[in-house]
Amino acid sequence: MLSRLVLVSGHSLKNSGSFGACLVQAPRSFHQSSQSLAPVPPLPEKGGKVRHGIFPEEIFTMLYPKTGVTGPYMLGTGLLLYLLSKEIYVINHETIAGASIGAVIIYAVKKFGPSVAAFADKLNADKIAKAQEVKDQSMASYAQGIENEKKEQWRVEGRSMLFDAKRNNVAMLLEINYRERLHMVTNEVKKRLDYQVELQNLHRRMEQEHMVNWVEQSVVKSITPQQEKESIAKCISDLKVLAESTQARATV
Amino acid sequence: MAGRRAAVKAIDWLAFAERVPPNQRAMFNSLKTRSDAISAKLASLPEKPSTINWSHYRAVVAKAGMVDEFEKKFAGLTVPEPVDTQTAKIDAQEQEANKSAAAYLEASKARIAEYEKELEKFRNMIPFDQMTIEDLNNTFPETKLDKQKYPYWPYKPVADL
Repeated sequence: MLSRLVLVSGHSLKNSGSFGACLVQAPRSFHQSSQSLAPVPPLPEKGGKVRHGIFPEEIFTMLYPKTGVTGPYMLGTGLLLYLLSKEIYVINHETIAGASIGAVIIYAVKKFGPSVAAFADKLNADKIAKAQEVKDQSMASYAQGIENEKKEQWRVEGRSMLFDAKRNNVAMLLEINYRERLHMVTNEVKKRLDYQVELQNLHRRMEQEHMVNWVEQSVVKSITPQQEKESIAKCISDLKVLAESTQARATV
Repeated sequence: MAGRRAAVKAIDWLAFAERVPPNQRAMFNSLKTRSDAISAKLASLPEKPSTINWSHYRAVVAKAGMVDEFEKKFAGLTVPEPVDTQTAKIDAQEQEANKSAAAYLEASKARIAEYEKELEKFRNMIPFDQMTIEDLNNTFPETKLDKQKYPYWPYKPVADL
């Protein structure tokens, strides 16, 4: 009964149903029938409806057809008066004490109920949020793992390219080698022929030079001193004529 | 002559580069530079050697018959093709790689199956709102409190609270 009091005052109690369900240490064997539902369906969000904090609504609905709206109130008043007048309930010191305590309790619950309920809800929500986060992270990491594996598989598929590249390299190297050999052969033959040609040219040039030198030497030897004097005199007279002509031109 | 023309396959270096995992990138780069150097060298060499102008030499060289002799020997000369020693090894390597790749694929598929199983378990889990502590212990066995080891509440070392 008091639990219903708490539940109603803390009407901001959000997941009261789930709060109960999540931490219920209820053993499974509670379900006697063979049709036990699994998972356990969540408890209802709110507790049973009550009027004035303690009296269940069912009493009012039960009595309504017979006695209408005021029926239960009449019943309550009558009961109370009966108890008091017949002294089935005796008024004594405890009554005052009980009334005061009840007043204080009701005041406290009404004032602090919602905040306490919110606090409790927050605790629960944090737990659930943490668990949810763990679950989400795990799922994300598994999905990522699967992605990575698929990517690696795709990578492995490209292995043939490596070997194609290698074979290409080998083929190209062979081709290069072959061409180099061809070129070398041709160049060597050409070099030999060119050598012969150069050799011949050299011979001819040397013969030419030798002949020229020999002719020159013989010519120089054949110049007698007499001829030399005559040629020098001729040169001097030629120079004189030239000098006169240039002098004449200069004065003109 | 037909034997030496081993077909040079066109390699898509971009696609190749995509498939290289990051830890083998250095090897791939060195391979690429080597291949590029080789193909550049190949492109720089002309296919046929330059022909020798025999008539010119015949006119110039005085020695009789020398040019003719050279010409005859030259025409009769065949250059041996270089022998291919590596292709067999490369093929063997390829077989090896195929085998190890198949093994790796198997292992990879097994791993994917494991991950899928775990994912399924998570997907089929009841929402946390509707779990009891027993359900939680069944789904995540590590949350089960060991009541044998720590017989008193809170059933776990106080530092773990």
